[in-house]
Amino acid sequence: MPDTAETTLASAAAQRPPFYRDATVVKWLVQVATLILVLFAMFFLASQAGDNLTAKGIKTGFDFLDVDPGIQLNGGIDDDPATGGRALWVGMVNTIRLSIGGIIAATILGIFVGVARLSNNWMVNKIASGFIEYMRNIPLLVHIIVFFAVLGGLNKFTADVGPINGWLHISNKGVSTPRAFISDGFYQWAVFLLIGAIAGRFVMKKRKAKQDATGAETYPLGSFFGVVAIFAIVGWFLHPIFGWVGSIFQTIADVIDVIPQSAVRVALSLIAIAAAVWWIRRFLDSRRTPAGLAKLTDDDWFRMIFAGVGALLAAVFFFIVWPGFSSWLLNSSRDLFEVAANKFGDGRDGLPLGINRPDIAQRGNFANPGPAGLNLDTGVAALFFAIVMYTAAFIAEIVRGGILAVPKGQTEAAQAIGLRRSTMLRRIILPQAFRVSLPPLGNQYLNLTKNTSLAIAVAYTDLVQVGQTILNQSGKSLEVFAIWMLFYLACSLTISAVVNFFNVRLAIVER
Amino acid sequence: MSISDATTFTSDEMASRADMIISDGVDKWYGDFQALKGVTATIKEREVVVVLGPSGSGKSTWIRCINRLEQHQGGRIAVDGVELTNDTRNIEKIRREVGMVFQGFNLFPHITVLDNITLAPIWVRKKPRGEAEQLGRDLLERVGIPEQADKFPGQLSGGQQQRVAIARALAMEPRIMLFDEPTSALDPEMIKEVLDVMKELARSGMTMMVVTHEMGFAREVADRIIFMESGEIVEVGPPEHFFTNPTEDRTKLFLSQIL
Repeated sequence: MPDTAETTLASAAAQRPPFYRDATVVKWLVQVATLILVLFAMFFLASQAGDNLTAKGIKTGFDFLDVDPGIQLNGGIDDDPATGGRALWVGMVNTIRLSIGGIIAATILGIFVGVARLSNNWMVNKIASGFIEYMRNIPLLVHIIVFFAVLGGLNKFTADVGPINGWLHISNKGVSTPRAFISDGFYQWAVFLLIGAIAGRFVMKKRKAKQDATGAETYPLGSFFGVVAIFAIVGWFLHPIFGWVGSIFQTIADVIDVIPQSAVRVALSLIAIAAAVWWIRRFLDSRRTPAGLAKLTDDDWFRMIFAGVGALLAAVFFFIVWPGFSSWLLNSSRDLFEVAANKFGDGRDGLPLGINRPDIAQRGNFANPGPAGLNLDTGVAALFFAIVMYTAAFIAEIVRGGILAVPKGQTEAAQAIGLRRSTMLRRIILPQAFRVSLPPLGNQYLNLTKNTSLAIAVAYTDLVQVGQTILNQSGKSLEVFAIWMLFYLACSLTISAVVNFFNVRLAIVER
Repeated sequence: MSISDATTFTSDEMASRADMIISDGVDKWYGDFQALKGVTATIKEREVVVVLGPSGSGKSTWIRCINRLEQHQGGRIAVDGVELTNDTRNIEKIRREVGMVFQGFNLFPHITVLDNITLAPIWVRKKPRGEAEQLGRDLLERVGIPEQADKFPGQLSGGQQQRVAIARALAMEPRIMLFDEPTSALDPEMIKEVLDVMKELARSGMTMMVVTHEMGFAREVADRIIFMESGEIVEVGPPEHFFTNPTEDRTKLFLSQIL
């Protein structure tokens, strides 16, 4: 019979398998079961921790953030913080400063060493290799301690330790230099700078267009800075004319003050729902083919349901879980604009910037750099140099790998069209090497940021050190841990986002 | 297609032309292996020379020595009256006069087609961007793909990429073009479009040195054919003589294997 095979196939299709062999059902069951398991585990851990804390009579809560911690910090934007929150904030700022400065310095040094490692010059090559091997094969903590010991061997700090007494002191207490600070008229002056930057950009574009058209050298970047400088100089004397800018901020603050809380709640919920709808629509569009909507997989459905449920949960959060959030949002934005408004207007016609010379604070028999100058403490210096050089060694290897990953034909083609070595490196090799290096480079930036927590070794007031002190005094371990984790998580995610942004933007277009 | 009279020469005419490339007893070793054994030849202005030979015969090595992508170790090379020595000024001068097209295209993948072409005019010849871009678009027109200017190399077919590579080499306005197996990495239907561009270039009077396996091209366009084997020049002659009546046994063997 010719149609036997067909009949068998048709009957097999009509016969549904038992549910435990049905791929769709199994997949959904596993998804839902995993979700339940994870939620249960989280609930179990949280309730256990809660039970244990109650049993030991430990109170939880974040009220320590608003209480005077009674601690002195030896470095940062505020050495006598009024509240625990402020103290932690000082630590965060220190961590961020150290990370950003470290990332910039480590990248520059790393690229330099990486290129040197590939040099044909035997001497340069070996020095770079030696640096890399020394830095990366010894633990970072050891480097920090060694640097600290070395810097501690500098001259003792006195009023005439030099090299320029009264202006620049280098000693075993670190480096102190004059400090520039923001003064009365700064924000009014900043308006001048902003206008200068806009005008400068306009001029730069004009000059650039002229250069492209005629080939004459018109110094576009130079003219940008020239225009900004002119505005800065004029603004230095004329900045009080922008005193009225404060009233704009005041008006905004007043408007925010009359917005009802419920309106904010509704608006936030609508934004969440609109975002979910927008995402689902875009998602469906991406699944649309010329032949109509492609068949959605189970994962597709799961993602869409997840987006919808997420938006609803956000609405529930704004209305029920934390109704105060909208008023907090309103109050803090109103405060922000009021603070901004106070930076302008009456009594602010002094100079925009001021400068203080370093001074000396006598503590008993010991001379110390005083608060007036800008002091780089030996501890921070040791920490900074160690972290930068340690990370730079790894970055150098990444850069070297990236350069070696560029095919040899690229060099040959660049040579064949007569490019100089420096032009070739800048226009052909490094841009391509950079694309290969970017993801591992991002990892090094994450490592550097997390490694700043070793500041505790030199008693520098980064977030971990401040948190440790507060934890010892208040006993709020879980809360401090949570703040640490959230802060480093936020830093890492920010770095990842920035690196990803460039990674996508720089991807080489194919097809 | 027939070649116009402008590219067929009598020997008297040829003798009166300037020497563009002089290769005099060029030696090249890779470790113990001698890749070039005293290669001696002179290429005249506006001459098209095709270098044939089995793989490993040193054709590519020789052509790459002429613009210093490989360093020769014995003998001398002079291009357009400039001796190729360790003097970086001479190397730079020669590379500006000599354009090169590679087997693997070697386009710069991270910048657009137009930027690939304008790179050398802007950074080496110091032309203003506007002028360089006009030149770039004219060259793309000449190789037949003006509409691809703003794409990236990865978005083009192999034949189109190789034509961009030719335009990039031409952007330096060279007096000599070197082709190192320009069609070997291409699909059969794309070979023709590249060869057509090369034929047009030959007819315009460019001095060309071409390493290739395209016998049809060699027969049609070449003024002279140089046959190499094991790092030595075995036979030199005009194409009609080379293909119909070769003198050397090794040439006959080679031709019997490929024709």
